[in-house]
Amino acid sequence: MTDTLHIQIDHADGSLQRLIGLVERRGFHIDGMTLSGEGAMRRLQLQVRGRDSGRCVEVLGRQIDRMIGATRVASACAVQTFQTEVAA
Amino acid sequence: MMSAAAPALQAAATPAPRSGAQLLVSTLERMGVDVVFGYPGGAIMPVYDALTGSKLKHILVRHEQGAAFAADAWARVTGKPGVCLATSGPGATNLVTGIANAMMDSVPLVCITGNVSTAVMGTDAFQEIDILGVTLPIVKHSWIVRDPADIPAVIEEAFHVARSGRPGPVLVDLPKDIQVGLTADDFGFHYPNDVMLLDQGAIADAEAMIRAAERPLIYIGGGVKIAGAVEALRAFADSTGIPSVSTLNALGSIRTDAPGFLGMLGMHGTRAANEAVQDSDLLIVLGARFDDRATGKLTEFAPHARVVHFDIDPAEVGKLRAAHVAVVGPMREGIEALAARMATAPLAIDPWVIRCASSARRHAFRYDAPGDGVYAPALLNELSLAAGDDFIAACDVGQHQMWVAQHCAFSRPQAHLSSGGLGAMGYGLPAGLGAKMANPGAHVVTVSGDGSFMMNIQELATLRRYGVALKIVLLDNSSLGLVRQWQELFFDQNYSEVDLSDNPDFVAVAQAFGIEAFRIDRREDVSAGIQRLLAAPGPCLAHVLIDPRANVWPLVPPGRNNAEMMHGTMNFEGEI
Repeated sequence: MTDTLHIQIDHADGSLQRLIGLVERRGFHIDGMTLSGEGAMRRLQLQVRGRDSGRCVEVLGRQIDRMIGATRVASACAVQTFQTEVAA
Repeated sequence: MMSAAAPALQAAATPAPRSGAQLLVSTLERMGVDVVFGYPGGAIMPVYDALTGSKLKHILVRHEQGAAFAADAWARVTGKPGVCLATSGPGATNLVTGIANAMMDSVPLVCITGNVSTAVMGTDAFQEIDILGVTLPIVKHSWIVRDPADIPAVIEEAFHVARSGRPGPVLVDLPKDIQVGLTADDFGFHYPNDVMLLDQGAIADAEAMIRAAERPLIYIGGGVKIAGAVEALRAFADSTGIPSVSTLNALGSIRTDAPGFLGMLGMHGTRAANEAVQDSDLLIVLGARFDDRATGKLTEFAPHARVVHFDIDPAEVGKLRAAHVAVVGPMREGIEALAARMATAPLAIDPWVIRCASSARRHAFRYDAPGDGVYAPALLNELSLAAGDDFIAACDVGQHQMWVAQHCAFSRPQAHLSSGGLGAMGYGLPAGLGAKMANPGAHVVTVSGDGSFMMNIQELATLRRYGVALKIVLLDNSSLGLVRQWQELFFDQNYSEVDLSDNPDFVAVAQAFGIEAFRIDRREDVSAGIQRLLAAPGPCLAHVLIDPRANVWPLVPPGRNNAEMMHGTMNFEGEI
């Protein structure tokens, strides 16, 4: 399943590499990418897909949120539930 | 007359231009930095030129990795960012392991590297490395400064990023032309402390979940000490009576001898801690991240437990284990708010508390091992008790690291410095150096092994140079003990490349560096050796010969759940 992330990033040394590196390192394939905008801020749209069922795009989103110089502006993520079955 | 006065007015209005290097040094001074660990080289020479005559104390290490580890330990002890300085290329790449270590353990570290001039960046110039690119996955953030006038703002932002929220390492790369370039600007920014509001609704949910639990357990992580929440945690544990377990990096958050504290959980944790986790029906997770060394097989970790997760980092919530209640925000305020709610009525968890205490008594470590050779766990236990509340252990990585975690008594989390997440051999000696410089009044002891010690042995010269009275316990089993243990247990005793019986004479090596050293090879000499070590006025090394067959017990095999603890034939837990 592919999710789309919309991210605003600073136009600074290493910013694209930093973001793409994070997404791949955290276990996601990048299936599509569009960079747009001018000036100090750029808009990046990423189509991502987890490498296995253990990858949660919402956790990835929060890992992007905590980056300096990158902000998730909207994400069409599938809502994942954090409730798991608790053994009796 | 007018012509004489005019230049003076101009000088007052416009400060004399200064080089980027001078601006860096004055910014660090203004930031309150007192110690910088570093090593000079071609691309950072303008900064070293500006360092002479500054108020900064520069500690010249003998390898850049030593600078990063020493600055890391300095930060862990003081709570302030550690600073290290290196040249481009090999100087910068030698920092990498230290940066990764700080990232994994959330340590505020500011690394400043020189680089080749901007005009030749990207041309494979001499000692040019894209250190920003190399370190991208292991820094919280990083910058290349491209205008000398930006230096104050970048440095101030770097310190702010390193220490705010969940701390971590940052890197500032300074090309040489930026260091020598002149600017009259000196503009910094003031970064106010981030204010994160507590979710009172989540605190109320946490309270309700705790009150509904029969077997609640506090799972303490390193985030508690980072947040300065140790007192809040202790008050919460005391007032509610909820038992607690700790990760490696949180040891000391609750005193080792406190009632209700069951010890470390995980692969080499105590049996009482792991049993409590597996039996618990509610984990109150405080600043921990469900590391695999703590959880064992994740899907079978705490199988009956709901989870209340406190963390300042929202990205940790739900990363590995679902949280039924997440309290994202400042740890101290969160624990205090929860404790205030819990104070309204006591919990009825006596059967659980009694069960945990009984388990802790039944499985308490014993130190009456047979034989007359040195029993390392007993030595470490005695060492920590002899050093008392001023004890700080700076560990290397291996069996001795686990023995320190299991057998030393810690009065506070700053008493235990260990490369937890990265597990970097070579941490112990430079970390001990940084810790002793940060807290000269403490009994700082590096506990190392014969494998780890050789990885940064050159820092003995730094101890000698600055007269740093670090004490070193070198536990020598003439092998890579933890690897040997795994080969014994999980690789059919096929011992591959773990024999170090051709080690140098460590006493002679230390003495050659000008450091007092002596050997302990019999159990009856341990107590006198500990006294000698602690009483030595300067740096001192005790070379301790231990049984190469000794293993770390108990042990949860990799990939198994924490209930499946192994113990060996030489098992000195209470239950044989």
